[in-house]
Amino acid sequence: MNIQPPNSSSIKSRFAVKFVQAMKRLSKRRGMGDRYKRYRATRAAARVSLAAAVGPERAWSRAVLRRIKKRRGLIGRTTTNPRRNLRGLVPGGKGMDYCSLLSETAHYITCLQAQVQVMQDMLHLSSP
Amino acid sequence: MDKQHYLMNAGIPLQIEASMPIPWSSDQSFFNPNSSVDHHFDSDAFALRHLIGKLDRSSPAALPSLAADPGFAERAAKFSCFGSRSFNGRTSSPPGSATPGQSMVALPRVASSPSLKLNGSPPPRNRKLPGSGANSNEESSVSEQIPSGETGSNSRKRKSASRGKNKDHRSNSPKEDENLKRSKQTENCENEQECNENKTNQKPPEPPKDYIHVRARRGQATDSHSLAERVRREKISERMKLLQDLVPGCNKVTGKALMLDEIINYVQSLQRQVEFLSMKLASVNPDMENLLSKDMYQQSTSLPQQMYPLDSSSPAYYHHHQNVQQQQLHSTNISSVDPLPLDASLGIQIDGFAQNLPQFPAFTEDDLHSIVQMGFIHNTVQNQTSNMKVEL
Repeated sequence: MNIQPPNSSSIKSRFAVKFVQAMKRLSKRRGMGDRYKRYRATRAAARVSLAAAVGPERAWSRAVLRRIKKRRGLIGRTTTNPRRNLRGLVPGGKGMDYCSLLSETAHYITCLQAQVQVMQDMLHLSSP
Repeated sequence: MDKQHYLMNAGIPLQIEASMPIPWSSDQSFFNPNSSVDHHFDSDAFALRHLIGKLDRSSPAALPSLAADPGFAERAAKFSCFGSRSFNGRTSSPPGSATPGQSMVALPRVASSPSLKLNGSPPPRNRKLPGSGANSNEESSVSEQIPSGETGSNSRKRKSASRGKNKDHRSNSPKEDENLKRSKQTENCENEQECNENKTNQKPPEPPKDYIHVRARRGQATDSHSLAERVRREKISERMKLLQDLVPGCNKVTGKALMLDEIINYVQSLQRQVEFLSMKLASVNPDMENLLSKDMYQQSTSLPQQMYPLDSSSPAYYHHHQNVQQQQLHSTNISSVDPLPLDASLGIQIDGFAQNLPQFPAFTEDDLHSIVQMGFIHNTVQNQTSNMKVEL
């Protein structure tokens, strides 16, 4: 019935590679000093790298990738904006029925956990 | 006479039917609320055919075919009401015992010979007998009650009703079983509110919403709408259990609303954590260009080995906060008091600054596009490190 739960280590490695690539590209850019632009770009890169690592097989990753292609407000999303509603938190959660929302949430949580671990590792490695 | 003959014939399917739910008691999606009702005179042959078909296949998948008959619903309703009223005297006597033992009534006695006829049923019956043997006292009392001043049809109806109830019980999830049995003892009928109140009194932490529909099951089980509803509800509860395993600290919380709150909190905290880490990475980044390449190799090799236990992820979050507070964040000046207010204030400050920049940089979208494209081209991860090297 459900699609299988994500393989944590494969997502971690895929996300890590993509994210590091994005960060490298970011650091080479001239427009980025020590500003909040870089913070926002990093945040966006993290979000997109995770979605790209997951691929199009999940509704939430498809929603994120769709938002890039539309060139809409991808970066404008903050965590304080969506209120106490699960639909507002999970990307693409507005157009889903409740059942799939729950399964997407489960997958999304595992992916977020993987992402957090990878980014922590990166931090520890870069500044020991 | 015809009635007695019918009784004898009905004894076979009755007995087998009674023994059947036991192997499938663990199957939660299995329901046959109406299979007990087959002994109406009109649907006699139909019922027997179904039962025999069931037994031949002896698989739960065959059962729902019975439920398709809408007539079963009303009959089940009628019989269950019947059975509940006449049952109360009986159910009160063995309060703690399992009701299936009761309902098996005199069946193991009725026909030992018919039991040999059917092939599919011996294993369930074997399981049946020890249980019935334990309740032999109740059996004797109950069986005496049956012939006492009642017609064969009534007794049959009562048996079927009791069995219908018990099967219905077993068809629910195990924790609902206890509530159903308890509520059954306390004078239940089709009245949903009464039963709902009973259940909520007996088990307050359980969400009452599920039980309302469980009670409605017996009356309207064959309705396609309620079937779909029930399937949907089971799906939802299944996924909530999955989520409960994922979110740390959710085991103590019961009830959908509280769990949803916990889940929302957890997702929000994870997202905030990602934001925080990305801010840190952004501030660290310009110094460590060389280190990033080192990161890549180390990441791809070390990540599968490093497994932080998931439980520590949320306390690690707070520890990380404290570490961050102790380090000097040149972008923010915040007193380190408490992790959560720090996070909130950080969020507010960052967002405030972010809003000052009217347009977000357009180049990042090209970046993002390239990230996506790279994913689709190089799907196998391990080779990417060598590719990266070439790009550098």
